Amino acid sequence: MLSTSAELAHREQVAPEHYLLTFDCPPIAEQAQPGQFVHLRVSEGLEPLLRRPFSIMNVNIPAGSLQLLFRVVGRGTQILAQAAPGTWFDLLGPLGQPFPVPATTQEVLLVAGGVGVAPLIFLAEALRELPAPCYVRGLFGARTEDDLACWLELSTRCDEFTAATEDGSAGQKGLVTDLLDEQFDRGGVERVYACGPVAMLAEVARQCERRQIACWVSLEQRMACGVGACLGCVIPVRGPGDTRYLRVCQDGPVFPAAQVDWEAMTADLD
Amino acid sequence: MDLSVEIAGLHLANPVLVASGTCGFGEEYAGRVDISRLGGICTKAITLHPRAGNPPPRICETPAGMLNAIGWQNPGLEVFLAEKLPALRAYGVPIIVNVAGETLEEYVELAARLNDADGIAALELNISCPNVECGGMQFGLAPDLTRELVAAVRQATDQVLITKLSPNVTDITALAQAAVDGGSDALSLINTLVGMSIDIQRRRPVLGNITGGLSGPAIRPVAVRMTWQVAEAVEVPIIGMGGIITYEDALEFIMAGASAVAVGTGNFVEPTTAVHVIDGLREYCIQHQIAKITDLVGAARTGG
Repeated sequence: MLSTSAELAHREQVAPEHYLLTFDCPPIAEQAQPGQFVHLRVSEGLEPLLRRPFSIMNVNIPAGSLQLLFRVVGRGTQILAQAAPGTWFDLLGPLGQPFPVPATTQEVLLVAGGVGVAPLIFLAEALRELPAPCYVRGLFGARTEDDLACWLELSTRCDEFTAATEDGSAGQKGLVTDLLDEQFDRGGVERVYACGPVAMLAEVARQCERRQIACWVSLEQRMACGVGACLGCVIPVRGPGDTRYLRVCQDGPVFPAAQVDWEAMTADLD
Repeated sequence: MDLSVEIAGLHLANPVLVASGTCGFGEEYAGRVDISRLGGICTKAITLHPRAGNPPPRICETPAGMLNAIGWQNPGLEVFLAEKLPALRAYGVPIIVNVAGETLEEYVELAARLNDADGIAALELNISCPNVECGGMQFGLAPDLTRELVAAVRQATDQVLITKLSPNVTDITALAQAAVDGGSDALSLINTLVGMSIDIQRRRPVLGNITGGLSGPAIRPVAVRMTWQVAEAVEVPIIGMGGIITYEDALEFIMAGASAVAVGTGNFVEPTTAVHVIDGLREYCIQHQIAKITDLVGAARTGG
């Protein structure tokens, strides 16, 4: 893990409320693996106080750059949405556990929901550049066409790609999880990687468990230190005996889906 | 220029500690921060038995601060002694073990068992955590309970005993006096202020525990005021904390009467905060021709 200053090289609005930031940050770009994140200090002042974690969407090692995709949801992302290129930011990273990749050629399915697409873009690229490249199928769901931010970034890195929107404005109408049965029924999928809203991940995990297909999910949680010290960003995991919690920042953000206590994770959803 | 301080016989190379719960057991920041430069480390709260902690969300950002409700998640005394303590000792800095319990007996047993352990500089009695159902802050709100608990622990240990006080009281000096009467060698203050935050979209509390402890720069003026009051009321050394981000913040506590300070939430903002505070204190002393940092303790009380 590095603590480093990085210059914002480029800021692009890629969809309504969605921004893509490109940082010049060779040390983190060289070390980062798909699924890892950076913990970014938004302001040098006290507002907002805490850093913000962002999954790395992509790295360009020759250029020494890395990209972060986000949707504007609060003060931190509002500030970043206005950040001027040339501004320097403090980054901690790369942090967390990456997606485990197969040692042999496999057929894999990526399931992305909303801005959860970010780490899967990085992963798709890595999976196809492995010594034993994978065959990558991609699914990407969002509420509406506008929320399919960076869909081209994902689709061009997949051997097959299908999008879904809840309002039918792009791709198939419905939830991305509605597409899972067809994917699995066709056969061939040996592992699944997913990132998106909790309800989506819980459904992906349920279907993978039923069909006994290995699945990894990338989770998010309100986070403070980012390095495992404060125990603030935990999620509930299954296990014998009492409730146990693991840290998203250090034990995750990538977890085997079978490890997560989905019942507790979804109990509080509206 | 001498930055060293004594806390009830405990020698610290400099007056800047990292506060309990914000630096884990040191290992999380290893390689990121030169831990050997710290004045000392206050460990995450240790309980007799392992604790899972509170359901998430456990933290929530607030203006210039944050709420937390971790709930003493820790591996328990056995794992602490077998794994965490030996690793902590390797940094060569004083280790202050924060001990917490649900009952008086648990505190006493913890203190007794830690008394035989090597490499512990002091115990910090946690009677101020607001995020657990039993114990913790319950012992820190009524002077009689505080005195009784501290006295019982005092009997069980020869270690330097520091009592960490809660700000969630009407008169903190009464609790400070009670801890001293019970035999506390020093006091640390303040723990977090009880607060809460509501998610207006979902119309429910943000934190899984409903309430949490407020920390960060937002609480600093309260902490400085309480340090001032307690320094006036008791003779024992004080470790001041609450929202320290810069060396200037640390100086406020020292000049109010704290012999040492601790960086807490500031570690989350920037892992090297405590090290920068140490560097800043040194610079300040050199610039102002202060021979030793102890000359500044309580300086605001006497007009410097």
